[in-house]
Amino acid sequence: MSSPTPETSRMRGLMLVAGREIRVRGLSKANLVSLIVTVVIVGVLAALPTILGGGEDEAETIGLAGTNAAAMESQLKAAGGFDITMYDSAGEAEQAVEDGDVDTAVADGTLYSEENPDQGLQTRLDAAWQAAAVQTSLAEAGLSDAEIAAALTPRPLATVTLAEGETDPVTSYFTGLVISIIMFMMLMTPVQYIAMGVVEEKSSRIVEILLTSLKPWQLLGGKVIGLGVISLVNLVAMVAVGLGVSAATGVLADLPPGTASAAISTIGWWLIALVLFGTLAGGVGSLVSRQEESGSVLTPLIMSLTLSYIGAIFTLNAPTSTFAQVLSIVPPFSAITMPTRMAITTVPAWEIALSIALLVLAAAGALALGAQLYKRSVLYTGSRLKLSEALRRTA
Amino acid sequence: MLEIKDLHKRFGDTVALEGVSLTAAPGEVVGFVGANGAGKTTTMRIAMGVLAADSGQIVYNGAPLDVAARRRFGYMPSERGLYPKMKTAEQIAYFGELHGMSRAEAKRAAAALLEQLNLTERSGDFVQDLSLGNQQRVQLAVSLVHDPEALILDEPFSGLDPLAVDVMGTALKDRAANGAPVIFSSHQLDLIERLCDSVVIIGNGKIIAAGSVEALKAKEVKQLRVSVQTPQDLTESLPGTVTRDGDDYLVEDADDQEVLRIAAAAGRVTHFAYDQPTIAEIFREAVTR
Repeated sequence: MSSPTPETSRMRGLMLVAGREIRVRGLSKANLVSLIVTVVIVGVLAALPTILGGGEDEAETIGLAGTNAAAMESQLKAAGGFDITMYDSAGEAEQAVEDGDVDTAVADGTLYSEENPDQGLQTRLDAAWQAAAVQTSLAEAGLSDAEIAAALTPRPLATVTLAEGETDPVTSYFTGLVISIIMFMMLMTPVQYIAMGVVEEKSSRIVEILLTSLKPWQLLGGKVIGLGVISLVNLVAMVAVGLGVSAATGVLADLPPGTASAAISTIGWWLIALVLFGTLAGGVGSLVSRQEESGSVLTPLIMSLTLSYIGAIFTLNAPTSTFAQVLSIVPPFSAITMPTRMAITTVPAWEIALSIALLVLAAAGALALGAQLYKRSVLYTGSRLKLSEALRRTA
Repeated sequence: MLEIKDLHKRFGDTVALEGVSLTAAPGEVVGFVGANGAGKTTTMRIAMGVLAADSGQIVYNGAPLDVAARRRFGYMPSERGLYPKMKTAEQIAYFGELHGMSRAEAKRAAAALLEQLNLTERSGDFVQDLSLGNQQRVQLAVSLVHDPEALILDEPFSGLDPLAVDVMGTALKDRAANGAPVIFSSHQLDLIERLCDSVVIIGNGKIIAAGSVEALKAKEVKQLRVSVQTPQDLTESLPGTVTRDGDDYLVEDADDQEVLRIAAAAGRVTHFAYDQPTIAEIFREAVTR
């Protein structure tokens, strides 16, 4: 047998543990089945807009009669999206609305509608009505059609946005929402599996054999890496299928610019958060000897993850509030809140830097604390160890 | 040479070990005997680095035992443990790799051990689906997969069926024959007697007797057992203190040659030997002393 140098054998131990997690957990039937089911659901969801007809708006049916009817017709045709029927009189148009032949009717300066017309439609009809009135007046004043057209279509206002990279608020909201949900899921799952794995090794007593050839930090670190890789692979599979199907159905072109960079930076935040939550999960998992007890020690972690998620949702709705600002800087909440907030609004660079620094610091602290807890309590069997007892014990 | 030197360990107010020392020379099989709670498991855990001693040290081939050297040891803890949801062959090979073997080497060694333990057809099964006895065999394979150069085994025979006991016994003897020091604990004293070169008896955290099996037996020898085919009662005529044990005479404090002469004169001597105590008797004697 060769005797490798301590450095390589240290890394090898870590990688062996990670590799086992990936083989045994990642390639387990349960994980593969759930991955396939998720991927199919994602694929179907991505294809849904195309299946349902590409999301084109239904044309509004509208009836026209009376004064300016001809001018209205030309205006609405130019605007598009209307299915126009001409009536001889305002009465006929009104009757058509009542009978449900058309959704709305405009006749002699009156808007007929079965119910209150929606805001957007009314605005468009108002604009068309005014334009039609002007068109009619100009025609009566003797202008040619070309002159009228020129008068009615002034150059639209040029827009200069002062804040950089401002995208459509709806898209940003959606991106932020997706980021917060993915971060939450991608932390929750490995955190639970890490704790379960630690308890499994402890309750089956296999840890005693493992520790004769591995250091506690290798055992804990390997678990965090292994389950992190599984989560990442699951996510990448989902995203790849989602994007692949979107690209195939032509929806992909609609993805907002900056999606890729947001995804990459989110992975960075996730990595730091995984170290933070993962090592703590391993540490508190080692406090108990039975799987049934792991829930109670995990509660604080699950709670803070859930609060981070709720904080992120709050941030989506009030990205500029002081609360959102504080949440996105204070770890561990910042792990989910900051990438979400970055998606929906422009965050000053110093806040991002501060948030990263604090999160890295917290992760380093968690690594030290989790590893110590683990080292001190993983060989202790019996009733649940209190946190303070575990810290007082000598390894 | 594996030396355990003057170990002390307390758990809270309980003193677990109070100056425990024992050595296993290359090729020597040492039996570690003691009542439950005497300190066997604690001693072995400290030797394997799973537990830290308050004081004392473990020396292997003249140097303090470190992680790298320990990785070449084979260990079987008293509380057995395996990954329930891992396949048998995969699990054995994984431990081989942890002990520094390459993937291919570990797989080959795992397959060979499974063959030896009659478990080849269960290689692809999850450990949790095996019977308890078969799980014990897998545990044994885990401790032997990396061809260890020293063995520390806590109750390796408990729960093993006769076939596995033979495999284990052969494995211990094979390792020892290759020059490995072997320390194992057991409550099955007949196994200790059969397999061990020397015995260490521990009680309440202290070593109360240690030495080669022959030396320990010799130290305890006191009585001469004589069987004579004769109608006479020799109780009065034999020298020394004479007691009867059935038809036999037990003689103490006498010149054995004179006893033989008198007995032979009386009739045909069918048995003439010093009683050899069993390890069990020595153990009982040592613990109650």
